[in-house]
Amino acid sequence: MKTRWLFGGSAAAVILSGLVLATVAAQQPAPGPAPTDTGTLDPVAAERVAKKPGYSPYAGRGYPTRPLFGDTHLHTSYSMDAGAFGARLGPRDAYRFARGEEVVSSTGQPVKLSVPLDFLVVADHSDNMGFFPDLLSGKPEILASPTGRRWHDMIQSGKGAEAAIEIIMAFSQNKFPKDLLYAPGSRAYHGAWQETIAAAERYNEPGRFTAFIGYEWTSNTGGNNLHRNVIFRDNADKASLVEPFTVYPPGSDNPRDLWKWMQAYEEKTGGSVLAIAHNGNLSSGLMFPVIESFTGRPVDREYAEQRAKWERLYEVTQTKGTGEAHPALSPNDEFAAFELWDKGNLDGSVAKTKDMLEFEYARAALKNGLKLERDLGTNPYKFGLIGSSDAHTGLAAMEEDNFFGKTVPQEPSPHRLTAKFFDNAKTGVKIMDWEVGSSGYAAVWAAENTRTAIWDAMQRRETYATTGPRMIVRFFGGWDFAASDAQNRLPAQVGYAKGVPMGGDLLQAPQGKAPSFLVAALKDPQGANLDRFQIVKGWLDRDGRLHEKVHDVAWSGGRTPDPKTGKLPDVGNTVNVAEATWTNTIGAPELIAVWKDPDFDAAQPAFYYGRVIEIPTPRWTAYDAKRFGVKPLPGTQMTVTERAYTSPIWYTPGK
Amino acid sequence: MKDRLRTLLGEPLVHFMLLGAALFLAYGLVGTRSEEAAGSIVVTQGRIESLSTVFARSWSREPTAEELDGLIREYVREEAAMREAITLGLDKDDTVIRRRLRQKLEFVAEELATPGEPTADDLRAYLKAHPGKFAAEPRFTFSQVHLDPQRRGAGLARDVAELRGKLDRAGGGAELSALGDSRLLERRFNAISRREVAQIFGEEFAARLVALAPGVWQGPIESGYGVHLVFVHDRSSPALPDLAEVREEVRRELLDARREESVRKFYEALLRRYTVTVEKAAPGNGEAKIAQGGQ
Repeated sequence: MKTRWLFGGSAAAVILSGLVLATVAAQQPAPGPAPTDTGTLDPVAAERVAKKPGYSPYAGRGYPTRPLFGDTHLHTSYSMDAGAFGARLGPRDAYRFARGEEVVSSTGQPVKLSVPLDFLVVADHSDNMGFFPDLLSGKPEILASPTGRRWHDMIQSGKGAEAAIEIIMAFSQNKFPKDLLYAPGSRAYHGAWQETIAAAERYNEPGRFTAFIGYEWTSNTGGNNLHRNVIFRDNADKASLVEPFTVYPPGSDNPRDLWKWMQAYEEKTGGSVLAIAHNGNLSSGLMFPVIESFTGRPVDREYAEQRAKWERLYEVTQTKGTGEAHPALSPNDEFAAFELWDKGNLDGSVAKTKDMLEFEYARAALKNGLKLERDLGTNPYKFGLIGSSDAHTGLAAMEEDNFFGKTVPQEPSPHRLTAKFFDNAKTGVKIMDWEVGSSGYAAVWAAENTRTAIWDAMQRRETYATTGPRMIVRFFGGWDFAASDAQNRLPAQVGYAKGVPMGGDLLQAPQGKAPSFLVAALKDPQGANLDRFQIVKGWLDRDGRLHEKVHDVAWSGGRTPDPKTGKLPDVGNTVNVAEATWTNTIGAPELIAVWKDPDFDAAQPAFYYGRVIEIPTPRWTAYDAKRFGVKPLPGTQMTVTERAYTSPIWYTPGK
Repeated sequence: MKDRLRTLLGEPLVHFMLLGAALFLAYGLVGTRSEEAAGSIVVTQGRIESLSTVFARSWSREPTAEELDGLIREYVREEAAMREAITLGLDKDDTVIRRRLRQKLEFVAEELATPGEPTADDLRAYLKAHPGKFAAEPRFTFSQVHLDPQRRGAGLARDVAELRGKLDRAGGGAELSALGDSRLLERRFNAISRREVAQIFGEEFAARLVALAPGVWQGPIESGYGVHLVFVHDRSSPALPDLAEVREEVRRELLDARREESVRKFYEALLRRYTVTVEKAAPGNGEAKIAQGGQ
């Protein structure tokens, strides 16, 4: 018995290795067109801003009227770890689910989104994506062989399953017809990468649902998470000319090498790719280096330029915690302690120390970026913000009342409220399943739902992150916004006409003027009211010191900031945890305001981003406790104040 | 230490290598020399070409001599480690490997068992059998005015009635820009799909909108934002498109349905080859054995 197993196993291994070789050798890349530059100025945006308005306020509006929601970071069974955890859903299922269809999860549970998403990137790990044998790919030759002909006919007449078993048996028992075995092309392989591309091509429906081609580069040396999601602007014709960049040979764990890969792809194909860095909260202080871990030397001009060029977005929230701000870095920010994972790195092998935080959290990185720009001439950390799931289930299901977990064992069950996510006995770093967040999504202000339009909006950072709800958030910065602009019936039109949207730049401050911001937020139509709209400012002073301040700029009625502390009273809480309910009797469905920076100094570089806070609602743990009748562990977080984070707008003084 | 390892590996290693050698001979595979035996790793020209090609596909250039040496070094390590691991039986009872193998077999089965390109007749038949799947979504051109119940408080019903009267007099051409409480919700939507209506206003509102007759102001209709008065200017009814318009979608759906069916049938056929016995403890009945024949 043992011998037989060994025999079968090694036979398969031998066949596999031989076949990989044959296919790979056959797929010599074709030479690509001339190199292109992704460019820094978006001509569409520029034109849009410059356009003179006509009489009709509705005619010719080139700007996006509705944000598109999606997930840039979803794994399926094609990811080695997801498959190992029991994920059965592949890219096809993932796209189906995201566009609103009901599917059956890997644990056999029917699941559907409350409202469809607009786009999805299936981002499986590029390492070990694998090859799957195609035993009968040499189609014409098959028909020439009597056995092959019989199999072919069986398949065509609906007896494919029986034929498949016969073919597999023939292989494993060494009875595969010799003339077929040696026929040209008969040992071809389908790379999982090619299958991934094929699924994206099939489900991409311009105007309705965008299925991006992408993958995750999984640099994880020492358990320190430096992953990046790579997203193609292009279709299969270009993306299939390359293999995704890996960490294992011939790849590398250094992001500089990923950027080289991206450059080479663009030069070879004339296509475009961007990379989104994974939430840095599990990187042991390596995500936003000032001293590069790979060299031990300060980041240099080249690092800054390359990172700024290729990584224009950052994943600020996902299932493994939120990485906007940390209370230890921002002690005056009462909303900083949100869904934190600050005990260790990705596998818990290194415990967190306070000195790491500055190089892991988005706000600190945005601040350090200002300083690095002063020293190097380029800001490596000039990134916009998005949220995504990083779910390993094929399901971008990030609604609190419809949360299907990060991994398959975390799909809804009576156990997930009390189970462990991981526990590293050596370091004492332990994460429970209840700490996994039902977060988040990426919101993109694209004028149409296509690969190119969404990708271009990502590239110009006109995006925001949400922790799950689909609130609509506007954030414009300029020099001339007036209070009356907040009364305008078409705030977006005023916003684009008088300023730049989120992700943009303010340059050359007019004499005596301070930047002003038009901000607006509309609640998720199915979700909770809004508590407040805040602007977070970070700046570099004349002495080279970094500062930050959080301003409340719009809030729901009935509250006045404390005249002494300036603090806005709490919005309240209507959550009934036991019943997992809340009411929209507090907060506001819509917030809108114009805010002018009261402390502006034209000599000091700064950034401003919006943070929108919802009223408290039941967390997924409350829904689980109620629906499964399970008692949560002591200390389990049962409510959540969902939020959105916009990409910043930067102010850079003239040279 | 070395001796102990040798004892551990001894017999099965030889066993495995002999089998491996036999297989290499039998399949005469590219890239590995048939004479390769226990204790020898031969990196053939074919293997080197393969490593080089994989590099080129990834980096969009040929590897340098040093890079190629690095790849070969890694390959040799991997090969040696892989052989020892298998000899040690490390591949057994490993969930990751079991699941990966299952996935691979399913891939093979899917590819093998799924009939090739559907004919035009297949596509037409599938379209006819699933009209709901391919019908164009209804689209709506409508105007709306929103009132926030929190802001209006007790006066909501009165305000709705007053607004309704004003709108009824003005009809579908009413100037709306100064009306209502929301500054962010658009007043007019042109030919948007039901799906988009649900994305903007929520599912509840979309379901109500579908039932509204065009040409008059109606409401109040509730959404997550509050209440709305709505005027439907125009709506397109869902029509079954010609195959030419939805050919790609029909093809995709048909192929997916076939794949699913193939995998289901594959397991059915596969399990006919096995007698499955499930030894389950019956509730409250100790270790009762429940036998189950092949399906």
